[in-house]
Amino acid sequence: MEYIELFFKSIFIDNMVFATFLGMCSYLAVSKKVTTAVGLGAAVIFVLAITVPLNWLLDKYLLQPGALSWLGEEYATYDLSFLSFIMFIATIATMVQLVEIVVEKFSPSLYNSLGIFLPLIAVNCAILGGSLFMQSREIPTFGEATVYGIGSGIGWFLAILAIAAIREKIRYSNVPAPLRGLGITFIITGLMAIGFMSFGGMLTGGGDAGDENVISQTAIEKIKKEVEQIDNSKN
Amino acid sequence: MEKRTDKNSYTILFAIGMVLVVGSILAFAASALKPNIDENKRLEKQQNILYAMGVNDNEESSVAMISTDVVADKFSEYIVKQLVIKGDDVRVDDQAYLIDIKKEQTAAKSKSYERQLPLFIGKKEGKISYIVPVRGKGLWDAIWAYVAMDENMIVQGVFMDHKGETPGLGANINQRFFMDDFIGEHLLDDSGKFVGINVSKGNADPTNIDRTDNAVDAIAGATITGDGVSAMIRAELKVYSSYFIHLKNN
Amino acid sequence: MGLFKDSNLITDPLTDDNPITIQVLGICSALAITAELEASIVMAIAVLFVLGVGNVIISLMRNIIPSKIRIIVQLIIVAALVIIVDLILKAFAYQLSKTLSVFVGLIITNCIIMGRFEAFALANKPWRSFLDGIGNAAGYGVILIIVGFFRELLGSGTLLGFKVLGDSIEKTGVYAYGYENNGFMLLAPMALITLGIIIWIQRSKNKALIED
Repeated sequence: MEYIELFFKSIFIDNMVFATFLGMCSYLAVSKKVTTAVGLGAAVIFVLAITVPLNWLLDKYLLQPGALSWLGEEYATYDLSFLSFIMFIATIATMVQLVEIVVEKFSPSLYNSLGIFLPLIAVNCAILGGSLFMQSREIPTFGEATVYGIGSGIGWFLAILAIAAIREKIRYSNVPAPLRGLGITFIITGLMAIGFMSFGGMLTGGGDAGDENVISQTAIEKIKKEVEQIDNSKN
Repeated sequence: MEKRTDKNSYTILFAIGMVLVVGSILAFAASALKPNIDENKRLEKQQNILYAMGVNDNEESSVAMISTDVVADKFSEYIVKQLVIKGDDVRVDDQAYLIDIKKEQTAAKSKSYERQLPLFIGKKEGKISYIVPVRGKGLWDAIWAYVAMDENMIVQGVFMDHKGETPGLGANINQRFFMDDFIGEHLLDDSGKFVGINVSKGNADPTNIDRTDNAVDAIAGATITGDGVSAMIRAELKVYSSYFIHLKNN
Repeated sequence: MGLFKDSNLITDPLTDDNPITIQVLGICSALAITAELEASIVMAIAVLFVLGVGNVIISLMRNIIPSKIRIIVQLIIVAALVIIVDLILKAFAYQLSKTLSVFVGLIITNCIIMGRFEAFALANKPWRSFLDGIGNAAGYGVILIIVGFFRELLGSGTLLGFKVLGDSIEKTGVYAYGYENNGFMLLAPMALITLGIIIWIQRSKNKALIED
């Protein structure tokens, strides 16, 4: 159930483009044609699906405060979280490079259709954003991190596909000349983002602590005793 | 002719050298500056706790903490007791304010770990304040707060902060106009049940005259941060609510 | 003489080669932080600093960076630069760092920085790269400040926190005549639309920029 919820949440409610406005640059620059948009979108899904879980592992076993405890007790106090940015970026850039090499070797036809988009992805802030969100939202398991990565990627894919389709059609409309191209794309994206805001009300709620987690009766009596002492001892 | 910098061997050497240089610079900077940073953070925690219970230099409409020179003295003057609750156990601990809430929250996810819950008891002008640290998630990253309450669970003051909310929108949760709205709000409803304080849009009471409605007005444009604040208060303060409900019923 | 020869490196990005409206770089942060004028100004100054210094560093290293891994090298240099500045501020100017820390992530992921490294600093000498960095950051800053100005003015009726249009609750100033703040302006989609309008105005003035 959590998986399905997280999946739809990351596609629609937390849509990378329309809710958090990440990956805008390539979204605007590579959305002139549907076919190229599909290529870039697919590449983004692919890279997000790999790097988010990978960075989850890095975060869990290397970066978090206390993450090194698997090395032994004496490492438990290390906190390498200041390295997060660098490690995440390094993973992403390495993965992109690696994917490029593997695809080129095993499927030249896919490489030809994806090829030029892969290097673009390393600088797409939606990718780094995905990993940073994964870290700050404290996604608990490896499985959920994978689902989150794929979901965010699909969200981005949908967004670029939609805008590319609109841009192909709008060429036949009578847009004021200075607004053609980038200008009208900005405005349409704004309107689409307003539309996507209506997803915001879905799937919220929850987060209540269960009744069993409240302070126990025994502890309550002890706290009362401590507080009474204050009243007696000081003015 | 191939350029020197295109060779594989050069690339690999460069990468290794780069990792070593950047890594050691960063590690050096982080460890050399750590004592300073930790001390700053420690003083800030004391300032924040005192701010929540109303010990601050506020004038007009900007947030003013008491100065770092006096904060240690003021802290021991006003915070009369620091308790740590762990299961059925309650201990007094003057370092309780240094407990890392994030670590406790993460550790408590495994069933075998009993979470440590800090509770600071302050006394100002003869009145007791209970101050509780809470932590949750905003739009981009962590948000946290110190909530000072009296024995009826009526808020005496809050201090809120965030790691990276959107400047100009969600980041404004640490501004006076938002935090001051919580003062006097009830965390329990009329029947004595815990409901928390909801950060709501379309509030019928935007200037927040009604302090018993368990709601304050949201910041326009910062819906997710506001929801995060509501959820944080609901989930985290609920844990402590049994104590206050007990006081009320007896 | 050399100084004047290169002055177009600073002036072009301010107008006809603007990083936001023409090169389509740095859009994400331009949308996220322009709800208030103050945040826009802080971000503009921070980017001015990082891009100026970063461009010089990359330019100095341009002959030793292997082309295969240049992207990762550039990213790591800018990230390390920003993180070190952040750590130093945290240790010695804690209050200032509280204000600026929020921008750290936004600066590292800002594609204007990567974009200028790639397009300019990798192929040019340090001084020219420095001018290019300053010029582009200024062009970026100008748009940020324009958008921030309108969003804060129309959205909350204030500028830099001052109530320039009167008090919306006590109904003074323009609010006495029934004016209302447009809360919509504070939401990110309106930043997109504001940017669209800026592009419209800019391209109406300079027809050469019109796309077909």
